[in-house]
Amino acid sequence: MKKLLFSAVLAGVTLVSCTSDDSLSPENEKVETPATYNFERDNSSTVDYNGQTTRLQMAAELNSNFTNFDNATEELLLNMFANENAPFENASLNESSKSIKSKVAASNLYFSTNTVESTEIKNDFDTYISEQMTTIKSAKDQLAEAGVAGQIGDGDRERYVNEKGLEYNQAFAKGLIGALLLDQIANNYLSSAVLDEGDNRANNDAEITEDGKAYTTMEHKWDEAYGYLYGDPSIPSANPNTVLNESDDRLLFSYLGQVDEDEDFAGIANETFEAFKTGRAAIVAGNYSERDEQVAIIRENLSKVIAVRAVHYLQGGKTNIEDGNFGAAFHELSEGFGFIYSLRFTHDPSTGAPYLSKAQIDTYKEQLLSGNGFWDVTPETLDAISEEIAAAFGFSVSEA
Amino acid sequence: MKISRILILACLVFAACSTEDDGSGDGGGNTDDNFDRGAMLANWADNIILPSYENLDEDSGKLEDLAKSFVENPGNTELIALRAQFKVAYQNFQSVSMFDIGKAEELNYRSFLNTYPLNPNDVESKIASGSYNLTLPSSYDEQGFPALDYLLFGLGSTSEEVLGKYTLDANAENYKAYLLEVATRINALTAEVTASWQGDYRDTFVNNTSSSSNGSVDRLTNKYVMYFEKFLRSGKIGFPSGAITGTPSPINVESYYSGDFSKQLYLQALSSSKDFFIGKHFGDAQTGESYQSYLEALDRGDLADDILSQFNTIQARSGELDQSLRNQVETNNTLMLEVHDELQKEVVLLKLDMLQALSISVDYVDSDGD
Repeated sequence: MKKLLFSAVLAGVTLVSCTSDDSLSPENEKVETPATYNFERDNSSTVDYNGQTTRLQMAAELNSNFTNFDNATEELLLNMFANENAPFENASLNESSKSIKSKVAASNLYFSTNTVESTEIKNDFDTYISEQMTTIKSAKDQLAEAGVAGQIGDGDRERYVNEKGLEYNQAFAKGLIGALLLDQIANNYLSSAVLDEGDNRANNDAEITEDGKAYTTMEHKWDEAYGYLYGDPSIPSANPNTVLNESDDRLLFSYLGQVDEDEDFAGIANETFEAFKTGRAAIVAGNYSERDEQVAIIRENLSKVIAVRAVHYLQGGKTNIEDGNFGAAFHELSEGFGFIYSLRFTHDPSTGAPYLSKAQIDTYKEQLLSGNGFWDVTPETLDAISEEIAAAFGFSVSEA
Repeated sequence: MKISRILILACLVFAACSTEDDGSGDGGGNTDDNFDRGAMLANWADNIILPSYENLDEDSGKLEDLAKSFVENPGNTELIALRAQFKVAYQNFQSVSMFDIGKAEELNYRSFLNTYPLNPNDVESKIASGSYNLTLPSSYDEQGFPALDYLLFGLGSTSEEVLGKYTLDANAENYKAYLLEVATRINALTAEVTASWQGDYRDTFVNNTSSSSNGSVDRLTNKYVMYFEKFLRSGKIGFPSGAITGTPSPINVESYYSGDFSKQLYLQALSSSKDFFIGKHFGDAQTGESYQSYLEALDRGDLADDILSQFNTIQARSGELDQSLRNQVETNNTLMLEVHDELQKEVVLLKLDMLQALSISVDYVDSDGD
């Protein structure tokens, strides 16, 4: 299936480059990939994703307060999640009309007619916050045991886990990578329903920009996708990969970098950036088939990042369990749990749906948390889940 | 898919190229080299690791005894004896700190015994309240040798002032109780790790000769290199000198309160690392199978020589340091930075060149801080 897709993409690219000379139709115009993500109209930049930067900053401040038991409260964190009652230290965030919660599991493609599940997912995140600041906070000065929440040592620091060994802060942060970032990128802003909504194509072809803005609506939608991946203030907009694995981002861009560092997946960060640039240039050129080919690459690559990290952490947890090193194991499994949660938001371009069904993903979560959870999950179970995930995405467990 | 196609291609090319040298036996990784990993593991366990722990175990037993004597009778003689034994035990701890495997890893032994800088405010508030649980990982920086360093040297600027905390102070009983608890815990944890090496763990370790990432050689080697990089280079020199952060930070010096002891701890850690590299038996000059002999068996004696010569360079430069690294940072931090650079050269030799020669992949990465 995937091989076919690749051949199709390849054929498409070849076809485009062969036919570009003898056609004037914008649909077939050859798209040059620019060196950087700089796009201008009348000497003004048309790139703007400040709303995404705002949400990434909100997520960062919320995540950093998750184990701040001395100063943070359930109410404060829930307020940060929904941006209510001026919860942020960074005052500009309080003034924003945006919130993280409103965009969790909120993509056009997956959730616009599926508000039941969207609400369940939002509730999961609320629950992680509430449990962290009630159950975990009151157990923070006791040692965790099977069935008992508390703290556990992981190398040179302590971790706070629930009665099953799960760190809610990891479930929250890694789950958010899928439920907010990947969902908004792959299933919302890059979906045809959003890019091509209403008169977007006609307006884009005629270069009719939004009121008071330098960009067309379609250009802006694309940039908003871009902003969820590259929008952390520490990442330069034009050339994000210059800070790959060095930025302050702790969400999707960080893990794209970590996967890229693995020689089995080297190049994925560059390929993804190339696709974002080429697709944006294709919009400027009005070449929508070229744009959609880049969408497929982005969806596939970013989905793969989630899957690779899920398997990576399950395997890391397995090794530590075999060594009797529960603290380190639980931390890895908690990260792994969050990435498994995020699998729900992956997008297989050949099917238009997640690589694994919701039922399969729910089963993995149940397997990890049944009984005493991480305290008694077996290496066999971790291997079985790893194998299934890796197979669905076309890589091997050992590569992750 | 693309990747697997490249892999298949690579395999085909490799197969085609490697047919000629079939039979040489050491063409690929270390899986089919002729080196006796089991003999190296036995040398490590029997002649280095276990005797180092047994030595420390004896020291920490004495430490607890002397802490008891001091608590029963907090006089100057008892303080002098306890301080001396603290230094003996802390120094000998430097010879086991790198062996973070088995029971030590499971217990987070190194974190409980030597997390610094200490958090003196938390220590004081726990002493004041008399309520604490030192088994909690969140109390790493309130116990172990750094806590003893504070309790024996940091409570006043003179011995009299220190003794006053255990005699005249309103909380004297709580100070005594905390001191004894810290010493007792150091001894108990050391005894537990030592007992595991005296017991079944020795065989588990030595028999796991696999060349996979789960084999004992791979695992301890990662621990060894990580120790050298994170705890020796960064912990003892890098953080205090600001080589990593850009800002010198004397409070990060090991054994901050006893003042003139930090260089000695660092030099002990350095020579223990070097001794382990050459397989030198604990307590005598004899050597056995080691990284050095392993590299030689792989025809990489050149690399072993480079590593050893870099150890000698570091030792020579380090000899110039002040007895108190805190003084060194505050008076001539440049020398600290120069020593750091020499340590960093060794990190490169160990982490890149040696691990590559031994076909061991690095299994630790910089934590992403979450």
